[in-house]
Amino acid sequence: MSTLAQTRAMSQRSVLALVRQPALVIPSAVFPLFFAALGTSSFSRAVNIPGFPEVDSFLDFALAGAIVQGILFGSITSATALATDIETGFFDRLLAAPTQRTAILIGRLAGAMAYGFAQTLFFVAVLVPFGLRITTGAVGLMLMAIGGLLTALAVGALMSTMALRTGSSEAVQGSFPLLFVLLFFSSAFFPRETMSGAYRRIADWNPVSYLVEGFRSLTIGDVNATSIAQVVALPAALAVVTMTGALAALAARTRRG
Amino acid sequence: MSQSPIFAHDLVRVFGSGDAAVRAVDGVDLDVSAGEIFGFLGPNGAGKSTTVRMLTTLLRPTSGTARVAGYDVVTDADAVRRSIGVALQDAAIDPLMTGRELLRLQATLYSIPRTDGERRSGELLERVGLSAAADRRVGTYSGGMRRRLDLALALIGEPSVLFLDEPTTGLDPMSRISLWEEIRRLNADGTTVLLTTQYLEEADQLADRVAIIDHGRIVREGQPDDLKAEVGAPTLFIDVETSLVGTATSVLGTFGELRPTAEGTLGVGLHDGVGAVSAVVRALDEAGVAVSHLEVRAPSLDDVFAEATGYRLEGADADGAPR
Repeated sequence: MSTLAQTRAMSQRSVLALVRQPALVIPSAVFPLFFAALGTSSFSRAVNIPGFPEVDSFLDFALAGAIVQGILFGSITSATALATDIETGFFDRLLAAPTQRTAILIGRLAGAMAYGFAQTLFFVAVLVPFGLRITTGAVGLMLMAIGGLLTALAVGALMSTMALRTGSSEAVQGSFPLLFVLLFFSSAFFPRETMSGAYRRIADWNPVSYLVEGFRSLTIGDVNATSIAQVVALPAALAVVTMTGALAALAARTRRG
Repeated sequence: MSQSPIFAHDLVRVFGSGDAAVRAVDGVDLDVSAGEIFGFLGPNGAGKSTTVRMLTTLLRPTSGTARVAGYDVVTDADAVRRSIGVALQDAAIDPLMTGRELLRLQATLYSIPRTDGERRSGELLERVGLSAAADRRVGTYSGGMRRRLDLALALIGEPSVLFLDEPTTGLDPMSRISLWEEIRRLNADGTTVLLTTQYLEEADQLADRVAIIDHGRIVREGQPDDLKAEVGAPTLFIDVETSLVGTATSVLGTFGELRPTAEGTLGVGLHDGVGAVSAVVRALDEAGVAVSHLEVRAPSLDDVFAEATGYRLEGADADGAPR
């Protein structure tokens, strides 16, 4: 019971940190929208390329990339906050109290999950007036929001592992280019069907491609077993792996040298 | 097994390994009685904070044993944490949260039910004089306000043992005195307090017993008055021209043992007490030494410290990296 109460209190703290630092949140919300707008205005005729899925506009195609991009960048914010807690000694303050160790990590990730959920809905809300149409309707939208939450957990746990292992906010922020590369060598901005050579092979291996395509199939396709597997089961499975790593990193960090 | 609230035997903490190994704490023994204010005095890097981190379960001892509130700090760490309050020198307070929010969070961490936590937060804010600022973000607090909030946070679990790591470092004199008063009040209510400090006056004013730590070892321990009495003789400090230091030193040596001083000053413990000052001045005059400044001080903890370590804490480098 107390673990639950502690986790909830720690979650509230991490959500509060997001709400009270809009300057940290806005870039990860605005950047992907900017990319989506830029893509839509520049590549509107790309939808006619052979291999491009059938869409009303490039915007419908771009949404999925924007969502995953927002979550990747948002995960840096929450992991940076964890690293900053370690740097400033707030983490020690928590450890010197009878705090459940997992509450520290899960509370932090809960903030990231809430952010992933809300940001997915926010992107859709902002883009609908510009012509975005989600073929799967409210059910698809809810699945996407849940997928956003799970993706935020999976990526957030990965970035938290880095925060716990290094205890350095600079190291966490230094992973930004890496995430950017992962995003670019995926189907976030163009369908894999239009790629060739090494680029295509990397995109085929890149899990980000499959995450993006899950969101995309719910935007422009149907709700079916494949789309649900990609939006819900894939990030959930990734989250199991990254959470295992994060819990091990937490145990190492709290083993008290 | 000892039932003292704070007990440590041959506590050692080594950082690094091989040639680079540093024995930050090198065989510390402690036995603090219930209801005592115990002062841990030493310069930065002496091993104070490392000792406190081991006693508060944040750091595992390399060897030795420690029990706090009756529980082993390694095997029963969680029970220790539930029994103690900790205010750490280098543990920042989240600047984005308000004082009240932080206290409520802390109450939850101590598994205090919600309504009790709210009531207790209000009481503690009142107690440390932060009621008016309770709903402001900590980022807007002054240094003194943060330390008072830190104290309130340490008290939320109604600890029987309180650890305060340099509670007044960097505070202005007024804030320091008000924090001292609060610590005395807490102690009067029965809380055992271990505080670390690099301020001699703080240890002298506040502590029932003092341990002087240097290079990871306790070099003196006892009640401040007893320690000062052991040093005995008052110290005469004189300033002379650099070229005359040699002559002056040999003159002073005939009146007692020379004592460590800050650079540019000579000090001697006067065997025959303050009455010997005029004889010293005459002797210096006859030797042709002109004295530009002269001062006699009754034995202080600084003298105890100097006698124990060979250097003075006052004027020592206070900017070294804390451990």
